[in-house]
Amino acid sequence: MSAVRSFASLVAAKLVALATAPKRLVVTVQRAVYDVRTGKRSPWDVAKSVLMTLFGLAMVFVLLFPLFWITTASLAEGSRLFNTSGIFPHPSTYNLGAYRWVIFESDFFFVGGDWGYPQIVVGGGGGLLPLGFRWAGTKTGPGAVFNSLYIVSVTLAAGFGMIVPAAYAFSRRRFVGRKRILYGYVLFTQIGAGLSIATLVALYSLFSTYGLTNNLFILGLFYAASAIPFNTWLLKTYMDNIPVSYEEAAMVDGASFLETIREVILPLTKPGLAVVLIFVWLAGWNEFIIAQTLLRPENYPLSVELYNIATEGRFSTPWTRFAAFANLFALPVAIVYLAAQRSVEDGLSFGGMEG
Amino acid sequence: MASSQPGTAPSRLASLRSALPFSSRDWGLLLVAPGVLLFSSFMLYPIFYLFYISLTDATFAGSVIGGGAELIGLANYAQLINDSQFWTSMTTTWLFVAVSLVVKVFLAVGIALLLNHVRVAGRRYLRAAVIVPLGFPGIFTITVWRGMFSDARFGVFNTILGRYNDVMASLSAPQALLLDVPIGFLSGRWEAFFAYVTAEVWLAYPFMVIIIVSALQDVPRSLHEAAMVDGAGALQRFRTVTLPAIKGPVLFASILTAATSFQQFLIPWVFNQGGPNRQNELIIVYGYREAITFNQFGLSAAILIVAIAFVGLFMLVAVRFGGLAEGVGDE
Repeated sequence: MSAVRSFASLVAAKLVALATAPKRLVVTVQRAVYDVRTGKRSPWDVAKSVLMTLFGLAMVFVLLFPLFWITTASLAEGSRLFNTSGIFPHPSTYNLGAYRWVIFESDFFFVGGDWGYPQIVVGGGGGLLPLGFRWAGTKTGPGAVFNSLYIVSVTLAAGFGMIVPAAYAFSRRRFVGRKRILYGYVLFTQIGAGLSIATLVALYSLFSTYGLTNNLFILGLFYAASAIPFNTWLLKTYMDNIPVSYEEAAMVDGASFLETIREVILPLTKPGLAVVLIFVWLAGWNEFIIAQTLLRPENYPLSVELYNIATEGRFSTPWTRFAAFANLFALPVAIVYLAAQRSVEDGLSFGGMEG
Repeated sequence: MASSQPGTAPSRLASLRSALPFSSRDWGLLLVAPGVLLFSSFMLYPIFYLFYISLTDATFAGSVIGGGAELIGLANYAQLINDSQFWTSMTTTWLFVAVSLVVKVFLAVGIALLLNHVRVAGRRYLRAAVIVPLGFPGIFTITVWRGMFSDARFGVFNTILGRYNDVMASLSAPQALLLDVPIGFLSGRWEAFFAYVTAEVWLAYPFMVIIIVSALQDVPRSLHEAAMVDGAGALQRFRTVTLPAIKGPVLFASILTAATSFQQFLIPWVFNQGGPNRQNELIIVYGYREAITFNQFGLSAAILIVAIAFVGLFMLVAVRFGGLAEGVGDE
């Protein structure tokens, strides 16, 4: 719960900073005018600052132009995008039709947009509990988002279960082969995704041999495996920065080994854990080529569905629907990413960056 | 460190140390083992298996699984050397890596310098905005770029170029400054290559900007001021103060992004599957298509092994010269 609260306060702080930005801009302008009047700064000096700022703004606009374009495109269901009147739809035609399509007609949430609700069935159930679970009120069944969420939960559970203890061991203990394994991990840090495409041919053969294709659980494990080297290394460097004396102090106070982990290591590693959470989540959420090769259509996650929308027309992409689908797909991750941006930046400039 | 005389301060510290679980060696390996095991079984084992396939004459997945393939030694590699498509792909890939790297470095250094400049108001917000592309999934942004580069008369870039023509014509500019629209960005070899590079640069610049900005912020302002007092111009200050500070990080980031560009798959695949006429198949696309489209599993495996070898080389260079593994040996 405290994680949710601290996340909420972080978002709130960012919003406040954003909302008060115009005021600060006005103050800056006022001060510049005052400085010119009193002769502290020459008009040319101020003009230089204004020009540089405008240049920076223009550059950011050019760089983010594709995202700007696709966002306006997602609001233009029903109007033709590529036509004589230009690449942007007219604001008077803005509508949320494409989002309606994603939610109520596409396979995003439920196949064919046929919504249902979860129902607990007493009596049945094949597991230890005499409780079953099924979707009621839908003729078709759950859609792609549930496949994605399933994959990501497996990736997160397996990834965290293996990354966090390993990072602790690498940071705090010495054992046989430590250097060698760490060195191997470093070699694999940046190349998780590309490497997995390179081995796809072998993976496909292996998975078919062992009957593991079309298995969401195995796919989730696979993504966790591809995320392990980078994130273990990342978390290890993070833990290295926590002074050992903190643990020693806790031990002197009579804390047991597990208590030091819970009371010292984990709380101090929180920002690092947040970054690892984002990266591991992305590893399971974004990948599509392996999912497309190994899964059958009924198990396709969102990323594959997105690719299918992009390529469904022989010559053209239904841009508005694609954009709406993609925005719903990417937005949760983008929001979390922006909120934790500072930590992510620190995480990316990790390790030997200073060298 | 540990003194043999009881009761002295160092020995009390030593007994404290031995009370901590820092001396019981090796059980840390247990914490590491699951990750190593998972990683090996899903990433390392397939690489070895891929090498095995590259030594066989397997034509499709079934012949690998069903045992219909026979070991033929290095014949696939021999065939590769004589395959003109392989050399086309290799040259295109290296060219792609080199061109996009140069553009990336200049763009990223420019952005970082501008958005770190004291004269730019609100630079913190601009910096936050400029690295937003990193937060979106690759399949999404790459497909958007395909839309930007659409061959159609009213594709985004073709429309913008058309506007440019209109403006130029209204200024009665000479004919040489006008462009021949629509440009078939994805249907010509070099047009498509240009489109790949643009998308690749756009995907990778945020990472470089982050690293360069963090390096720039480590340079004390007093250094700049001292240089200014000494009468150094902007260019000279860049050469003597800024450049030494960012050289290391830029080199490091260059090696890493070069390694990822080398494995770029999604951009060519989504744009036009390495076309036209297989001229722009980057190495991974080439290997993938040999397996999936042409049922040449053995050959495909050989291609991919070559690609993996090159990437391994990149990473070894990064570790050796980029100081990537600095934290491995300490403590």
